[in-house]
Amino acid sequence: MSTETSSAVALTESQARALFEKEFVPHMDAMYNFALRLTNDEDDANDLVQDTCMRAFRFIGSFEPGTYAKAWLFRILKNNFINDYRKKSRGPSKVEFEWVEQSFAGDDDPEPAFQADLQAETVNEMLGDEITSAIQALPVDFRMIIILCDLEEFSYEEMAKILNIPIGTVRSRLHRARTLLKETLASYAAKKGYKTDMLSA
Amino acid sequence: MKTHCSHQPDCLHLIQRILDKEATAEEEARFLANKDQCLPCQEGHELEVALRKALKSKCTSTCPSTLLESIRLKISSIVLLILLLIPLFCWFI
Repeated sequence: MSTETSSAVALTESQARALFEKEFVPHMDAMYNFALRLTNDEDDANDLVQDTCMRAFRFIGSFEPGTYAKAWLFRILKNNFINDYRKKSRGPSKVEFEWVEQSFAGDDDPEPAFQADLQAETVNEMLGDEITSAIQALPVDFRMIIILCDLEEFSYEEMAKILNIPIGTVRSRLHRARTLLKETLASYAAKKGYKTDMLSA
Repeated sequence: MKTHCSHQPDCLHLIQRILDKEATAEEEARFLANKDQCLPCQEGHELEVALRKALKSKCTSTCPSTLLESIRLKISSIVLLILLLIPLFCWFI
């Protein structure tokens, strides 16, 4: 019997099930949403969440009740995605990944523009799927960090643990992801005739 | 009111850290005191708030109930298998 399985059965069946229902089930919507945004596909999202839950259950004996289950589950989901789904998901092209990696060269590289050609009013007026499309158009590492921070409200420290990167990289990646999101939205807004103004002027 | 901010990159970082609840109380107070006198900072803040609000309203989805049921079923099967295998394993050794 593997170490992981024995750690799962260190708890009794009813204890493990109760822990699963109490600590993991409340985060199913958030996990599914994260999986859906990463894979861009409902079937892949279903499989990714199911695999994540099964892996979490295998390791449930190593979960410490009282610690933040959501961050633990998101870390497992992210690792599962990187290992098993990233290659087959309809993600960004190789060129985009290369661009992302170049963007992460360091915290000292030049600052992106202060503000894209976009206003709060324009964002509020966007009633269609521009926001969803703009998020899906982001390179996956940028998409991931925006969802973790702006949707799930993880702290920088929690995101550093989930993504296995230093806090400084969390800050710079987040900043660049938001800049790119604003630029993408600004280009949609210009195409669709929403009002745009240069805030940096 | 200022229409040009000479610290724009720093101010944008600060606005984001404030909204991410990562800024200190002092930093937040300093920004709020300055915000009313600086149009780019005011608009930058409004844009960051609008983006977060839009993301929350447009990019959320609910886990299908069938998925949760299927996970529960799979867990039950695994638990059952383990409960059957343990006595067999003990008997074998």
